[in-house]
Amino acid sequence: MSQIMPSARQRKMRTLLFWAVPAVLLLLPLATNPYTQFIANGMLVSVLVTLGFTLTIGNLGQLAFANTAFFGIGAYSSAILAAKLGVPWLLTIPLAGAFGALGGFLASAAALRGIRTYYLAIITLAFGELMRWAYLHAKPLTGGTDGMPMPRETLLGISLTDDTLKFYIFLAVTVLLVKATLNLMRSHFGRAVMAVRENEIATASLAIPTARVILATFMWSGFVVGCAGALFARHVGHVFPESFGMLHLIASFAMVLVGGLGSVLGAVLGAVLLTALPEYLRAFPGMEELFFGLIVAGVLVAMPMGLASLLRRVSPIFVERFYREAP
Amino acid sequence: MLMQLTLGGLSQGMIYALIALSLTVVYRSTTVVNFGHGDFVMAGAFLSYVLVVLAGVAFLPAAALAMIAMFVLGVMFNRGLIRPIRGGPHIGLALMCIAAGYLLRGIARMVWGREVLPMPPVFDMDPIFVGDLVITGDAVFIIGTVLVLLLLFFGLMALTDLGKMVQAVYQSPRGARLIGLNVDRFNDFSWGVGAALGALGGILVAPVSLLHPDLGASFLIKGFAAMTLGGFGSLGGAVLGGVLLGIAEQYAGAYLDTALIEITAYVVIVAVLFIRPQGLFGRKAVVKV
Repeated sequence: MSQIMPSARQRKMRTLLFWAVPAVLLLLPLATNPYTQFIANGMLVSVLVTLGFTLTIGNLGQLAFANTAFFGIGAYSSAILAAKLGVPWLLTIPLAGAFGALGGFLASAAALRGIRTYYLAIITLAFGELMRWAYLHAKPLTGGTDGMPMPRETLLGISLTDDTLKFYIFLAVTVLLVKATLNLMRSHFGRAVMAVRENEIATASLAIPTARVILATFMWSGFVVGCAGALFARHVGHVFPESFGMLHLIASFAMVLVGGLGSVLGAVLGAVLLTALPEYLRAFPGMEELFFGLIVAGVLVAMPMGLASLLRRVSPIFVERFYREAP
Repeated sequence: MLMQLTLGGLSQGMIYALIALSLTVVYRSTTVVNFGHGDFVMAGAFLSYVLVVLAGVAFLPAAALAMIAMFVLGVMFNRGLIRPIRGGPHIGLALMCIAAGYLLRGIARMVWGREVLPMPPVFDMDPIFVGDLVITGDAVFIIGTVLVLLLLFFGLMALTDLGKMVQAVYQSPRGARLIGLNVDRFNDFSWGVGAALGALGGILVAPVSLLHPDLGASFLIKGFAAMTLGGFGSLGGAVLGGVLLGIAEQYAGAYLDTALIEITAYVVIVAVLFIRPQGLFGRKAVVKV
């Protein structure tokens, strides 16, 4: 791989840039109206969803369809904990993450039996559909098709329906999880994840327990997306089963691909770019499916490594070591 | 009661068998698993609806036309979208199939919105009573059509070189090329046959169910469940897996709980992959270090 690595100075620049973005975003609520603030909050939720997704399909290189299921598990567990057990919403975020991680464990436990690639894809697909069935049929817990509303709550005397307050909480959670994921991928574990993608047998020969690496990646992915689910529950204020259907799945795929498979920067870019657009398409039935379908097909043919690959060509600052270079 | 359930399961299972078979045809000859196949099934159902209800064509010619159209679409999909990314990772191929499925679904929803469409009954015949067993025209029609088709398919595979060609291309596309097979054209053909067979599943199911753009998703899972049960990649296993799944659904619905009909397929997938990953007829994969 003839990738130019960033120099020490550029690495410092990169750290500065990483913290400058959220610092500037702190001022964002000054420049928004209620609608754009709502959209900005949605973007932060999407960033986490895409980040968790790119871990399994980009970094680990396993086909996985359970991402939407983790999102739903996170949202429903947050709503159930808050509405039925009276847990403060802020506390439900890590708990929802834990349930998401449990979902990640269940969806990928078959990896311990040697299940990979297409089989793993099918079992995660089945897991996702099973969860959707559960939302609809576990009526006393989930409210069935009517969904369930989030309880009213205040934080520091401000109602949690306030989008500016939500923005700051979402931003903090997002920055924390993005940074944690970046660190994790740079660690010994992260390198093992990418080694499994490149050649699982060679990785196993280095005494790395590959099945456990796969399980742990799914669990971290589930944790990140589960937390995103808890944010989403508060973001829209009402959890419906349709929010976690097939449309969400293709939207996540599109966000991952547009940004760049396996790139953390790409996850952020893809999520920010593709969250706002569909809002305008919602009025026309079928347009969302067409839009995301065309984007996924187009990116696969024309730009397989996504927008992040263009940025890498501009400056080595944007080079990460998490993705596979285009063949 | 048991006989009645078995008959119902058999006629549902025949549809699943057809869908699993069409998925396997594409997988065996191109190693691509079509994750958008459910929407090909849906497209077949919708095309036959358009031709029968809106254009007033009789059912049989409409079904033939829809299958030909889907054959062409399958070939076009392989040439236009799959071939350019053939050399890439398998995730890209799977995502391309998903994208194609959503495109079909988007088109269907653009035209029909969120409506649910009923198709007029095609095979309007009085049910036959054998003892207390009721045999409906639809069941006769579905089981009969699929049986004839399966005979034709497996006959062709056994009696002509087609079966060997499929095996050759599956094992080594390069080797197949060396002995003079046009692998690209063969892949086109397999995609066409896969799309047309899947569409037939949709056409057969159209008269006995309600049509909506999302109907493909559940058929995709059922096709996968049938494949997994029979042994992923085994043509005969796909058929038998489909039939068994159809019957198991009916039994689970009648003796346990009707809500279970929908999730029998998922339970089958999970159970098979944990207990016997190679399925009933698959060979155990050997990993070489």
